Amino acid sequence: MLKKEILKEFQDIVGSENIDDGDVMTNAYAYNWCIEFVNYMEGKDPIPFSPVPKAVILPSTTEEVQKIVQLCNKYEIQFKVQSTGLGPWNQPSTDNSIILDMRRMNKIVKIDVKNLYAVVESYVSGAQLQAEALKYGLNVHMPGAGPMTSPLASHTSMAGPGFTSPQTGHSARNVLGTEWVLPSGEILRLGSIGLKSNPDWFSGDGPGPSLRGIMRGWMGTKSGLGVFTRVAIKLFPYPCNTKFIARGHAPMYDFEIPDFIRAYVVDCGNFKNLEKIYLRINEEEIALICSHMSNFAIMAIFSYTIESLMDKIAFGGIKKPLLVVIAARTKREFDYKQKVIDLLMEELNLTNIIGIKYDPPSNFYAECLRANLGYHGFIATGGFQSTKGQCDTAALCIRTEKKNIPIKKNYIKREVIVNDFGEGAWMTSYESGHYFHMEVPTLYDQTSLESVKGMAEYMELSNQLDLLKHLGIPFFIEGDKLHDEWGPLLMNYNKWLRKIKEAFDPNAVSDSGFYISGKNQSDLKNE
Amino acid sequence: MTTDHFPEEEYQRMIKRCVRCSVCKWIPQVQIKSQKYASACPAIDIYNYHPYSGGGKIILALAYEMGRIKPTEELRDIVYKCTECGNCAIACKYMNTLEPLEIIMRLREKLVKVGCGPMPKQQEYIEVVKKLNNPYNEPHKKRTDWISDDIKLDPSAKMLYYVGCTSSYRRKEIAIATVRILNAAGVNFNILKDDEFCCGSPILRTGEINTFEEFMNKNLDMIESKGIETVVFSCAGCYDTFKVDYNLRRKYNFKVLHTTELFDMLIDSGQLKLKKDVPLKVTYHDPCHLGRNAERYEDWDGETIQLMPLVSINIPPKSKRIGTKGVYDAPRNILKKIPGLELIEMERIQEYAYCCGAGAGVKSAFPDMALKTAKLRIEEAEDTDADILVSACPFCSTNLQDGIQDSGSKLKYYDISELILIAMDIEPKRSNKTTNEVI
Repeated sequence: MLKKEILKEFQDIVGSENIDDGDVMTNAYAYNWCIEFVNYMEGKDPIPFSPVPKAVILPSTTEEVQKIVQLCNKYEIQFKVQSTGLGPWNQPSTDNSIILDMRRMNKIVKIDVKNLYAVVESYVSGAQLQAEALKYGLNVHMPGAGPMTSPLASHTSMAGPGFTSPQTGHSARNVLGTEWVLPSGEILRLGSIGLKSNPDWFSGDGPGPSLRGIMRGWMGTKSGLGVFTRVAIKLFPYPCNTKFIARGHAPMYDFEIPDFIRAYVVDCGNFKNLEKIYLRINEEEIALICSHMSNFAIMAIFSYTIESLMDKIAFGGIKKPLLVVIAARTKREFDYKQKVIDLLMEELNLTNIIGIKYDPPSNFYAECLRANLGYHGFIATGGFQSTKGQCDTAALCIRTEKKNIPIKKNYIKREVIVNDFGEGAWMTSYESGHYFHMEVPTLYDQTSLESVKGMAEYMELSNQLDLLKHLGIPFFIEGDKLHDEWGPLLMNYNKWLRKIKEAFDPNAVSDSGFYISGKNQSDLKNE
Repeated sequence: MTTDHFPEEEYQRMIKRCVRCSVCKWIPQVQIKSQKYASACPAIDIYNYHPYSGGGKIILALAYEMGRIKPTEELRDIVYKCTECGNCAIACKYMNTLEPLEIIMRLREKLVKVGCGPMPKQQEYIEVVKKLNNPYNEPHKKRTDWISDDIKLDPSAKMLYYVGCTSSYRRKEIAIATVRILNAAGVNFNILKDDEFCCGSPILRTGEINTFEEFMNKNLDMIESKGIETVVFSCAGCYDTFKVDYNLRRKYNFKVLHTTELFDMLIDSGQLKLKKDVPLKVTYHDPCHLGRNAERYEDWDGETIQLMPLVSINIPPKSKRIGTKGVYDAPRNILKKIPGLELIEMERIQEYAYCCGAGAGVKSAFPDMALKTAKLRIEEAEDTDADILVSACPFCSTNLQDGIQDSGSKLKYYDISELILIAMDIEPKRSNKTTNEVI
């Protein structure tokens, strides 16, 4: 709990109903998905609760956020920021934190149809923004985490690959003008919104200051470097007709499939063919979705229960599957895209399972367009997390996947993670180019101590493999320990990251549990 | 009595599995049509903090079981600021296998057991029900005051109209319209009059199970003693309670129907003739208790087997109770058959309809929350450009009319039975005032 006089000062900023330091409230905010194995990895009890925040506060404006941050500096209280709140990154790492729940900052500030961008506050969800953009024939990039997450959080503070990445890129690339409350309490407006005359949101890298690398870099600072209150993000032409009508009842809605959309599950047979067709499809820039997944994952994206997953046995025999979805606005465009993919399959002697061995339910297409496929990862055990997080060429991504299989199989054999034959992976191109993303989703049971321990150990070994085999930096290199392990091998980037942290957050108030702490704080921890 | 459909070990297993994804705060993702009407949950809309959401209450359940939080007023307030509308459960179960609504109800039961629930206002009406068989503090003998001499009842009929407390004492126009329609259609039916007691729904939803079961047994004993074959309800709450909650605890051998189901059949069979043009633009509010929550739990007598380490499956598959089998078509069929009437749908309908805000003791314990929620729903109805908001539940009727009044909306509210009467060219009899003295 906060001291009464400090609580009063926070109340003066947001009103008494918008801050709560009660035991019930703060304990509820200490819970999150995957915290149990994060705790285990840090040598703590593997329970799904992080340190309990001292209070939870709900700001409604940038100015309120600024005052809160200033107060945190004054009283040396750390703050952790969360929007829709999925994942351990939303949790405080110390018991000297308050949580800023950004739920009241939920406005779509602007949709600039002509210049193809939207300005959103923290708590607008991806589905909300897409529904509004759709009215103008536009689309938004959504991360694999799904349409219920915050585009602001993804674009400013997280990685951000998504199923539609071949067309919509990834969050780091789509962020434009940004309003940022620095850990010091100053407000910094990046890109064209930072201009003194005629500020607007259309660019993140000038005219006006560009600090995108510092602001979010590759993986985002996950609330380790201040608070983002408004951000402009790119919009894209919607890939097909914009009628989005799902009739019937949950979960198998009867979706009115747009005229020009088609799914393929290509049986690539081996990694060599997978790489070839993968590169060619992306060279031709024809795919809305082009994702390599395991058989198990392919079965899951067409299923709504674990039992119905078993019906998808048609996918059991295929090897190195590739999900491709093409969508078009005109018949001519659609015919062209189909012709290209058919030719490529013919050239490589590959087959498409869809329409031959399996026809997806119409709702599958709704989920493709709304970027809801990732959520199917929860149906088997209710718990999963990704290791790896490769961002490189298709060749290196595939090499990483191959190298990881023996490690994963070892933990499958120990029965602590789910058996996907070691092949569970998700890989997509970014912007239909040479640049790919790969991660290794792994299913575990968060209620089983053995499974949690096994998952944590597997994740550490998997990370070490990337070091030993020079495969690149995994997704979740977060916190001092991991940054300091990896930094010396990568031009001591950790030292630079730490300097940034020190310069921007002199009082170490922006919780660094999933970023990097300043030198003094880090030294203290080491001692 | 813990029912077999949700054993304690299932509860203990589930409360550890929330992935804190916030899906429970929204309607199913593929049904989101606008930013404004994307939300599913009145409690999180009004109070904002995560524990007010379905997922947040699952976390509270876990924290409580782990001893991290105590049964305090702070906990009680959060747990009871919920209409138990079940919209969070529909969104969650779209993909997951958790049961947020069941968990909330069980958590309330647990709080009652340790003396931390229900809310004082709810305890007051429970005491009133125990004494007077209704929660409105009205004499039991006045339960039949709405019955006029021209109503034809048949004491030997095998069909019973169970009126319910709200229509008997507060929304009499619904009871009157119902019996006039049944009479006009030539349906033989009876009512229990003084032998009808509160169905117990407002008690059950607070977690006070023992008192609820007393009333369940009183009602079932009475109905079964009369050899009734079909019971018809104009109250969605009573209907859901009989159809789902009674059935979980005590099997009975009569059929239950909501009046919309019966009227739809009577129109189709030609017994009810809708002849008058009703040139109104109408939007329909799905009551939670007639829609998603009126789906019965299906008996399952299968086996859970381990398919592979960490993955278990049910053989045969266990049916997901996801609102699919609620009563959605019957009221819409009726409205579509009324000559000249134009039905315009709101964005949130059927199993993902937004709640009116009154249920589960909220109207009594947190009237501000009930009113704010009603006004949110009224706004959605207004955005359809309809003139009339229609529903099929006396409890929704009261709260939505309160919302219309408080917001100064131009919308008019009708129960669906009143619109049927108009279409039959019979003038409905409305009460002159609404009253807030409801649960």
